Order: sequence, then C-alpha cells, then structure tokens
Amino acid sequence: MWLHWGVTKVRYPIHSRVLDNGLTVVVSPDPSAPSVAVNLWYDVGSRDEAWGQFGWAHLFEHLMFQGSANVGSGEHLNALQSVGGVANATTWFDRTNYFETVPTGALDLALWLEADRLETLPDALDQANLDTQRDVVKEEKRQRYDNQPYGDAMEHLVRLAFPDGHPYAHTTIGSMADLDLATPDGARDFFRRHYRPDNAVLTLVGDVKAADGFKKAEKYLGRVPRPGDPGAVRPEQAALPPLTGGPRQELARGDIPADAINLVWRAPARDSAECDAVEAGLSILADGPASRLEKTLVRERQLAAAVSASLVELAGGNSLALLSVHVMPGVDPAEAEQALVDAVGEFASGGPTLAELDRAKAAAEREWLTTLADFSSRADQLSCYATFDSPERVNSRLDQRLELATADVRVACAEHIDPAGAGTLVYLKEDADG
Amino acid sequence: MASKRPKVKPPREWRLGSPRRARLDNGLGVSVFERPGQHIVSASLVLDLPLSEEPPDREGVGELTQRCCGEGTLAHPGTDFAEALDDCGADFGGCAAHSATQFQLDVPASRLAPALALLAEAVTAPELAEDDVERVKAIRLAEIEAELAQPGRRASLAFRQAVVAGKFRASRPAGGRAADVAAVDAELVRAFHAAHYAPDAATLVLAGDFEEDPFGLVEDCFDAWPGGAASYQPQSPAPDAPRCVLIDRPGAVQAEVRMGAFGLDRGDPAYASLAVACHALGGAFLSRLNAVLREEKGYSYGVQLGNAPMRSGGLLSMRGSFRSDAAADAIAIAREILDISDAPITPAEVDDAVAYSRGVTPMVFATACGLADQVAGLVAAGLSAEWVDAINQATALVTPETATAALRAQLRPDKLTLVVVGDAETLHGPLSAAGWDVG
Repeated sequence: MWLHWGVTKVRYPIHSRVLDNGLTVVVSPDPSAPSVAVNLWYDVGSRDEAWGQFGWAHLFEHLMFQGSANVGSGEHLNALQSVGGVANATTWFDRTNYFETVPTGALDLALWLEADRLETLPDALDQANLDTQRDVVKEEKRQRYDNQPYGDAMEHLVRLAFPDGHPYAHTTIGSMADLDLATPDGARDFFRRHYRPDNAVLTLVGDVKAADGFKKAEKYLGRVPRPGDPGAVRPEQAALPPLTGGPRQELARGDIPADAINLVWRAPARDSAECDAVEAGLSILADGPASRLEKTLVRERQLAAAVSASLVELAGGNSLALLSVHVMPGVDPAEAEQALVDAVGEFASGGPTLAELDRAKAAAEREWLTTLADFSSRADQLSCYATFDSPERVNSRLDQRLELATADVRVACAEHIDPAGAGTLVYLKEDADG
Repeated sequence: MASKRPKVKPPREWRLGSPRRARLDNGLGVSVFERPGQHIVSASLVLDLPLSEEPPDREGVGELTQRCCGEGTLAHPGTDFAEALDDCGADFGGCAAHSATQFQLDVPASRLAPALALLAEAVTAPELAEDDVERVKAIRLAEIEAELAQPGRRASLAFRQAVVAGKFRASRPAGGRAADVAAVDAELVRAFHAAHYAPDAATLVLAGDFEEDPFGLVEDCFDAWPGGAASYQPQSPAPDAPRCVLIDRPGAVQAEVRMGAFGLDRGDPAYASLAVACHALGGAFLSRLNAVLREEKGYSYGVQLGNAPMRSGGLLSMRGSFRSDAAADAIAIAREILDISDAPITPAEVDDAVAYSRGVTPMVFATACGLADQVAGLVAAGLSAEWVDAINQATALVTPETATAALRAQLRPDKLTLVVVGDAETLHGPLSAAGWDVG
C-alpha cells in the first residue's frame, strides 16, 4: 500500500507578525524563482452582504482596480503588467483576495499600489466608475453563469441547502436587481467597514528575506492608519444541523446538452476533522475512475457520462457538500437518480474500505503538494490560514487528513451525506419543439 | 500623504537552459529538468502523431485511443489500473491534439517509480477491450454534445473551421465530430494504437525534485517497448477565404465573438513581433481593445487578442462576449481598433509587452507541472526546450516597426473572419447593416 512509501513532509519557513495598525503580515521566503507573490486577504465576502445587496462585495472588488489618490483607473493592473507582473482578485463567500506575482524588483511597487488603494480608494471612487463596473460585472454574470448550460446551479443549490436570510443562501455573483441598487455612498460605507488593515492579512512568498519583507510591509502598508471605530462585527454563525426532508427542485431547460442531477448537503465548517472526513467520503464516491460512482454509474451501468463531487469549504458554521451527475443521453433520469441515491446511501451507511480511504489520502497529499508548489497559491493558503486560524497550519494541515480512520469517515458521512436528507436539483432537457 | 511611487529594479536574467537528455536503445527520447523543492514530479509523454494520420471518415479515433489506454492494461485490467494509480496518489490524463498525442502524470516524488511504470503500461500495453471502447465512445459523444452547448467552445470550434481550409485536419475538432466518432470501433482503436504508438516517435519530459535517478527509472519502465513507427509528414494548413458565420442560440443573453485570421507558428521569424502586437492590442488589461470595450463602454467582462500557434500556422483571434444588443457596436469598434494603419504600435507599448513577457516567463516555468506542460507543448509542435530562451532573445529585439508590420500582415481589416454565437434574431439585422455577409 502507498503508506509504505512514506509521506512527503512539507515544512515551509513561515514568519508572521501583526503591525501596529492591526495588519497581519506573513513572509515565507523561497529563492527558487526570481519573483514574489503578494497576497492580501480582506476578511469580507458575500456572506457579509445584507438583503438587497447581493453581489456588492464582488462589484466593489472591481472598484479596487478603478484608481485611488495616486493611481489612475485601471492603472494598478497595467503598472504591474508593464514591469512583468500578473495581478487579479477574486471574491468568495468568506473572503476577498487581491494578489499579484511580480519580479523581485517590483515588490515595492506592488506594496505601494496596495497601500494606496487601501488608504485612499473611498475618496477616489465616483458614479461613472461604479456605473461602468456595474455593467462589466453584469457581463461577467452573463458570460460565466446566465449564458452557460447549468450556469444557475449554484444559485439554486445554496437556496436548497440554507434557509432564507442565511449568509450562504445567496451566491457571490449576486443578482442583477441588487447590483442596480449599488451607489457610491454604499460602496464607501462598505469599504470603510471592511477594508481596513485590522481586517486584512498580507502574505509574501518567494524571493524575499523575512526581515526585508517585514520592512517593506511596514514601510508601505504600516502607514495606513487603523480607523478609530471598531469596524464591522460579524455575528457568530451557529452550525446548522444536517439538511432534512430532501427539498427538491426540477428545472426544464432547452439549452442544456443532457439531463443532470445535483445533490447538496450542509457539511461541517472548514478545517474540522469532521469536514475532512466528509471530503474524503466525497472523494471516494466520485473522484476519478476508481471511485464508487464512476464504477457503478459510469462503468458498469452506463447511466452517467460524468460524475463529480466537491466540498465547498466555508468558515461560518457549515460547509457545502455537492455531488453532480451528467445523465447519459437516452437514459431515464429517474433511473440514474435512483442508482445515485442507492450508491450514496450504501456508502453513507457502510463507510469506506481501508483501501478506498488510503487512496483518498494519497490523492489529498498530491493535491495539497500541488497547491503549495506555486508561489501564488502557497501565498493564498498562508493568507487563508492566517485569517481563519494560524499561518503555521499550512505546514501541518495535511496531517489531519492523513490521520482519518475508516470509522471517522463512516460516522461523518452517515450523519452529513445521508441521501434521504439531501437537497436535489434536477435539470431536464426540453426538446427543441417544447 | 502616501509615499512616493517606488522605482522598479530590472529583473534578474533568467534562462530555462537545456534539460539533461538521453535516448533509450528503442529510440525513446528523455528530457529531465531537476527542480529542488518541487515535491510533485510531472511527467509528460509526447507521441509525435499528427491527427492527419487518422482515417478521414473516422476522425476522433486518436482521442478515443488515448482515452481507452487509461481504461485498463494487460497487467492491470479494468479498474485495477485506476486503483493502482490512485494507490500512488497519481493524477493521470492526456489528450490527442492536432499535432501530437500526450499522456500526463503528476505524482508525489516518493511514488514516482510505481506511477511511471503504470504510465508505461498504459502507453505500451493497454487492454483496449471492446466494452471499454464502446463505453468511452458513448461518453465522448455526450462530451461533444456538451461542448457544442457551451457558447465559447462552440465559437472557438467554428472559428477554427472558418479560418483553416477544409482539406486540412486542423480545420476540424481534434476529438472528432459525432458522426465520425460514432463509426469508430475497437478494432480500429487497436489498429491505430499498433500502428502509431512507438518509442522512436516519442519523447518523455520529466520535471521535479527526484529521489532517485530518473534515467534509470525510465529505462526500467520503457526499455521493453518495442517498435518503430512510420515517420509522418505533418500538414501545413492553409487559410480559407475570410467569411462571417452567425450561429443561432435562440434567447442567448450574450453574443460570443471570435474575429481574426490565420496566424503564425512558433517557428515564424515574425512570431515574437506578432505576440508583442497582440499584447498591446488585446493582452494587457489596458490594451486598446479592453480599455475601450470593457473599461470605457462596459460592453464585456474582458476582450483578448491572441495568436494560438499550431505546429504550422496559427489561429489569430479577438475573443470576447458581449451583451446581445451591444454586440454589433462592439464588433464595429473592435474592427476599427484592429486596423492599425493610422495607429502603429508605439515604443511604450513595445516596452510594456517585452517587460511583461520577461517577467512572466519565469513564473510559468517555476513549478514542475508548469515546466513539463510547457516543454511538452513545444515537443508536440516539433520544437525543443531551447526555443524558450531563443524566443525571449527575439522578443527583446522587437521594435514598434516589426510589431506593427507583423500584425498588419496577418490581420487585414478587409479580410477578417467573424464568428458570432448568439441570438440570431437580435444579431442578424445589425451585423448585416454593418456590412457583414451573414447570409
């Protein structure tokens, strides 16, 4: 078995400190390439949006590229690209991250640009910039979701999994109607509450020594004042119990290639051993050609063209567990769904074999090492754990996954991915003639 | 008051250099890049196998053969093979592209030996059982349907078909079309494998932090691979006449657009100049296209201009998706921007593009996976790793004049091919009015 080969222990150097203004700084030197990854996590995401403001966190992320006191509109990205860097940002349920990877000699410029927008952005934004970026975000929504087959799946799945008003019951991309309601004052208010040094983590990974990294962080971002008020306080989100009653939704669509079945569950919050156990269970069910659903639904019974599973790790009480099956054309979707439910039910009650769990662990090791291989994604993980836990957790995070026993997975999956309680979203292909 | 904008120090010189190379007695070429600290080893086996070798009415047999190799081997039949890979924590994949077929493996360095042996089994001794071929074929047919339902993928396939003359294999999807794929059977897959999978037409690229001598491992795994493949004469596709294609997606809320022409391959003397011009027009965030169509007009999430090189020639296209009612206006604006007769590429644009390329290239090659993938792509195009340092030198010598000339030679404003996938009822009128022959 694979354990005989031993596990690769990753031990990256990790230095961290908190500046006087509350900014957490993490530096992880690695001279193997002549560049530095800069990664900033602001502890704000779509879960912090109020009713009627769905999509604002992401819209305002776009505004961060629209200029600040000393930087023109679009110049942040262009200035970094023209010295050989790449930059971008993403918004998600739990966080908004801004990142750039630059040649070593451009690290100061990257930090200066980040500091300028953190300190002065609210004063620079105007109605015209907001209006244009609102249009851009609407085109993003159309391109990535509204104009894609099954593009609205996530929107329906989170509503099946969480009650109205729950912070995770709406997606990050939001709604056209709420985007229309955003105003410059609303954006300024949002920035003042959430974009503050004491609500952020800065991580540097790559060709920089720890002392130099801290010195530069202090020089540029250390001077951004901490606001006098305490900032946004997020109410503690209690973990909801597993979904019950099997809520169900069916959508008939003309633009999809085939019928599809999605199951959704509430899983435990991220980074808990219980969450890892559910993740291992999902991997055993649908990750790769040796997985249970591939063997039964795809290979043996040929009811599905593809199966996939994912665990959306979330911090606020619950994560999301998802399983998706693309029904083979010509197959009765009800037959595919029954086979899916049977296979998941058998697994949830019986648990994995030792060989299955060992394979899931081997995959988890490879995925984690791959994530950490690249400066940019290593920096993202350090920012993540500095936000939710401690950056040192990056060096030990894999251990918890490797320590799982078959009983852990059996118990967690019996509780958290019982098909009887799952939310079900079915897409049915409409014939061209209706 | 913020501090003064810092000056940027010029980047260190960076070179990829050459891999350590060897050739086994059976002809298999081996290239090894040692990268300390890269705990995932990446291996890519490239078969020099242009898809023009497929029987004309059975296009797609190359992709099916590649996929079926992973469905079971003589030593590990059926799902035993996938389980053995999973035991190593290996990620296994690949595809048949127009100029070469690739097998790809990522695995923790500690388990390279057993994983590499499995890669060798898949390539040299697959089961290719009839049931597996029929099942994978049914899955491929479902995938083809799914690809055509994605507007971006649909537009890219239609652009390829419109720009490359129909007698060349490169004008059609690498994975084949439904009718041809449906006609492939297990016998043909086995014959295709027997005729074309051979070590003397293959190169194995390895990158990572090795725990044991990688050449010895490769020899252990691949030494018994017998064979001699025919040598192939890859096609040199020619462009087709420019045209406009409107593909109806009733009710679509956006129009997916591809506009451009036949482009250049990596061996063309003007390749670096064209890449610089593309960056200025549609690569940088504030490129001419993106600055207007995204940042000024808000018509799109993003617009790019890029030259995707083939082994011979390339696909040069602007790509973007636009709100349906704004699409015709966006296309008209883009066409004006692509006409640089009166607005040549400027020295500042060249400086920015060259600096961008110089800074980004080392990042692309920084991980074992990125490195193996890039070098395998070069081998697949008939080139070697040394091309990387050569093109970086060539890029440094690009001038505004050469960039302008390269773009103008390829993108003639009156000879653009346009593909639009969207709601024809909304789009037909405005496109016709703008002079496009939409039929």
